[in-house]
Amino acid sequence: METAGRTSQVEQAAEPKSPQIAPVENGKPVSIEPDLDFIRVLSTQGAASFKECFQCGTCSATCPISPAENPFPRKEMAWASWGMRDRLLRDPDVWLCHHCNDCSTQCPRGARPGDLLALIRREVVVHYAVPHFLARWVNDPRYAPLLLAIPAVLLGLALMLREPLQDALGITGNTGGKIVFSFSSVFPHWLLNSFFGFFGILAFVGAFVGVVRFWRAIMADRPDQTSAPVKGMGASIIAALKKVISHENFTSCTTARARYPAHLGVFFGFLALSLVSIWVITAKFNPLISSDFVYPFSLLSPWKILANLGGFSLLLGSMWMIYDRLEFSDNAGESNYFDWIFIWTLFLVAVTGFATEFMHFLRLEPHRHIAYFIHLVFVFTVLIYLPYSKFAHVIYRTTAMVFAEYTGRNWGVPTPVAPGNGVSGSQRKEEIENGEK
Amino acid sequence: MNADAKPILVIGGGIAGITAAVEAAEVGYRVVLVEKEAYLGGRVMRMYRYFPKMCPPTCGFEINARRIRQNPRIVVHTQSTVEELSGTAGDFKVRIRKRPRYVTGKCSVDDSVLERLTSTRVNDFNQGMDETKALYYPHDMAYPPIHVLDREALSEADEELLKEICPPEALDLEMEEEELKIGVGAVIVATGWQPYDATKLEHLKFGKCPNVLTNVMMERLAARGGPTRGEITRPSDGKSAENVAFVQCAGSRDENHLPYCSAVCCMASMKQARYLREKNENAKATIFYIDIRAVGRLEKFYFDLLEDSNISFVKGKVAEINEHPETRDLILDVEDTLSGEKLNQTFDLVVLATGIVPNSAETKLPIELKYDDYGFIDGTTSIDGVYAAGCATRPCDVSRTTKDSTAAALKAIQCLNRGE
Repeated sequence: METAGRTSQVEQAAEPKSPQIAPVENGKPVSIEPDLDFIRVLSTQGAASFKECFQCGTCSATCPISPAENPFPRKEMAWASWGMRDRLLRDPDVWLCHHCNDCSTQCPRGARPGDLLALIRREVVVHYAVPHFLARWVNDPRYAPLLLAIPAVLLGLALMLREPLQDALGITGNTGGKIVFSFSSVFPHWLLNSFFGFFGILAFVGAFVGVVRFWRAIMADRPDQTSAPVKGMGASIIAALKKVISHENFTSCTTARARYPAHLGVFFGFLALSLVSIWVITAKFNPLISSDFVYPFSLLSPWKILANLGGFSLLLGSMWMIYDRLEFSDNAGESNYFDWIFIWTLFLVAVTGFATEFMHFLRLEPHRHIAYFIHLVFVFTVLIYLPYSKFAHVIYRTTAMVFAEYTGRNWGVPTPVAPGNGVSGSQRKEEIENGEK
Repeated sequence: MNADAKPILVIGGGIAGITAAVEAAEVGYRVVLVEKEAYLGGRVMRMYRYFPKMCPPTCGFEINARRIRQNPRIVVHTQSTVEELSGTAGDFKVRIRKRPRYVTGKCSVDDSVLERLTSTRVNDFNQGMDETKALYYPHDMAYPPIHVLDREALSEADEELLKEICPPEALDLEMEEEELKIGVGAVIVATGWQPYDATKLEHLKFGKCPNVLTNVMMERLAARGGPTRGEITRPSDGKSAENVAFVQCAGSRDENHLPYCSAVCCMASMKQARYLREKNENAKATIFYIDIRAVGRLEKFYFDLLEDSNISFVKGKVAEINEHPETRDLILDVEDTLSGEKLNQTFDLVVLATGIVPNSAETKLPIELKYDDYGFIDGTTSIDGVYAAGCATRPCDVSRTTKDSTAAALKAIQCLNRGE
C-alpha cells in the first residue's frame, strides 16, 4: 500500500513470478528458509530485542562509517529477523561495523543493531573456525577450566621433561650471551621458543584456514563486485591496514567514545609487546643483533622501555575496556562471554607480566618462576585460541576491510543531492542516469 | 430528568470541552466550563486547516461560540484553573481560581490605544513566533470577545498611558484574582494536549536552526493571523519556502521520547504538504516516514497526494539534520529503505511532525486520578462521576474528540440521574 505510485519500480520487481511469496534479489524471487535456531541463539545470547526492529533506517542513516549504498545495519536487522544465517555469515558489512553503538542509542525501538552485529561476528568466527570443536569450546564457559588446563599441562610437561629433552637433543642449558640473572635456569629459551613457535604456527594455520574460508564465501557471493575490483589487492591491503593502524573508524563514534582510546591502548600495547617478543625469540638468527646481546635487558634498554610501555598500554587499555563495559553497558553494548573472556585474558596477560617483572626485579625466588609460569599460560591462551576467540576479529575485520577497499565499497558520507530536488534518492539516481539536470 | 441536578464541571475549553459543554447544556443541564487561557478553542483554534476537508477551524468554532453564547445554562470561566476537587459522584466540591483579565468588556478598547503602547509580550497563540502589545486581543475569533491585559509585560509608562487614554470603564487595573467555590454533580476532564518538546530531539536541531519548525508552528505560518500573514516563508531570511521536508515520527514511536504513535501527525503533514502546494504551485514537499498511518477513509487523502508529482514520499526515519552555515539550508540524513540508499538531501525548510503529549502528563488534576505511563487518562476514569474526553485520553483527531465528548457528556448526564 505504502509504495503505491511513488516506487512503482520497486513494486514491479517485487511481483513474485512464482506463486511462492518471497523477497527479491536481482529481480528474481528467492525463497527464505528461516533458521529458527539462529534466531533463538541471537535473541537469547546478547541481542534480546533485535526483533523489535521496525525497519525505519535510523541505524543506517546515523552510522558514521556505513556506506551510502546498501548501508548497514538495517538490512542485517531484517536478515537476522528472517533467520537468514547463511546470508549474514557471508556479509562483510558486519565486520565493517566497529560497534560504536550510535545506532543502538538512537534506535527508536531499543532493538540495538550494534549489539546484534557484534553477536553475528561471534557466529562468523565460530562458523569458519577449523577445527570447529575448539571454537565451540572457547565460547562455552563450561570448557574454560579445560582450556586453561591445556596450556598449563602442556607447558608443565615440557618443563618437567626439559632435562631429558635437553640431553636427547644435545642442547646446552646456556643459550649464550651474558646472562646475569634470568629465568632460563627453569624456562630455557630453546624450550619456550620451540614450544611457543610450534603452537604459534598451529594458531596461524588455524586462523589462515578460517579467513580463507570466509574470504571465499564473501567473494563467491558477489561475483558482480569481485569481477571488477576498483584497485589492486596490494593497494587494498595497504589501504585497509592504514585504517586499522590509524583507528580512523573509531574516531567517528559519538556514543562509545571510550572505545577509541581503550582500543588504541590495547592495540598498540599488544603490538609493542609482540614486536619485543619476536625480537627476542629471533635473537639467535637475527643479523641485526650483535654478539654482545645481553639478556635480560637492562631497564634502560630501548627494547625494555618499549616492552614496559607496551605493557602499561595494554594494562590501561584493557582496564578501561572492562570499566567501560561494566559501567556504561548501554553505550558500550551488551557484553557476553565471547567479549569478556578475551578482554580479561588480555588484562591478565598484562597483570601477570608486570607481576613477573616485579618479582624478578626483587629477586623473589621461587615466586618469580610461579608468576612467570602463570603469565606464560595466559600468553599461550591468547595465542593458541586466536582463531576461535574474539581475538579473531583482528583478521576477520581486516579481511572485510580489504574486501571493501577491493570492491570499492563507498565509505562515509553519501553523495549530496542537489538542493531543490524533493525527490527520493532512487528517483534522483534515475534522473542522473537519464542525463537530466 | 433530575431537576435538582448540580451542574457538570468541564475542565478545558478546547474542542473536547466545548463539545461536551454544549451537548450537555442543550439537553437541559447546567455546565461550568473552565479554561486556563483567556479564550476558548484551545489547540484547534490555532490550526490553519483541518484534514481531510481542508476547511479552516473558524467556521466550526463560530457555530460552537454561538451555541455557548445563546445558552444560559453554560457559564464560562476563562483564565481559570481548578485548584481543588473533592467529593463523590453527584456531589463534588470544586474551588476555581480565576486570574484577573483587567479588561472589563463593558466597552470596547480601540485599536488606536494598542498602537500607542510600547510594552510587548511573546504571542503564545502564534507559537511564540511573533509578539503582541501587553494589552492585546487574543485572536480574530476570540471568545469571549474581550481584550486581555498582560500585567507582567506592561511597563509603568504604558500603565500611566492606559489610565490616561482608555475609557475608565474599559479597564480595571485594580481587578483581583477571584476564588469560586461551587458544587457540581459530575466532572468531564478535557485537558487536551501539548506538542512534544522538539528541543529534546537533539539530532533534529530544533531551536538551533531557525528553519527547522514544528508542525504546530507551520499551522500558524500558514494562517492569515499568523506571524507572516499566511506566507510560508523561512524564518532565517523571509524567503518563500519552495522545498519543504516533513519529518514524521519526530519523537513519536520512539522509546527515547514518546513510545506511542501520536495518531494525527501523518495526516497533519500530508495536510500541510497539500496546503503548501495550494499556496505555491512551484513548491515541493518531501515526506519522510516510517509508515504512513492514514486509517479508514483518510487513506484517500494519501492516495490523492501520491498523484502530485511535486510531493514525494521517502520511507525512512530522519536520523539527523544539519544546517548549511551560509545558506541556512538544511541537510537531512536518512536511509531510503525501499532503495537501500543513504540520502542527504537539502531543503529550505523542515517541518518536524512532533507528537501529542497529554497536558495531564505534567499538570495533574487536584484529585487522585489514575494515569497511564504517559499521563493519559482512561475515558471512564478511576473515579466514579469523573469522565475524560479527547486528547486527555489518547492522541486523536478532532472528529474522534467530538465523539468522545458526546459520550462523556452522556455519561455525566447518566451520573446526575442516578436513582431516578
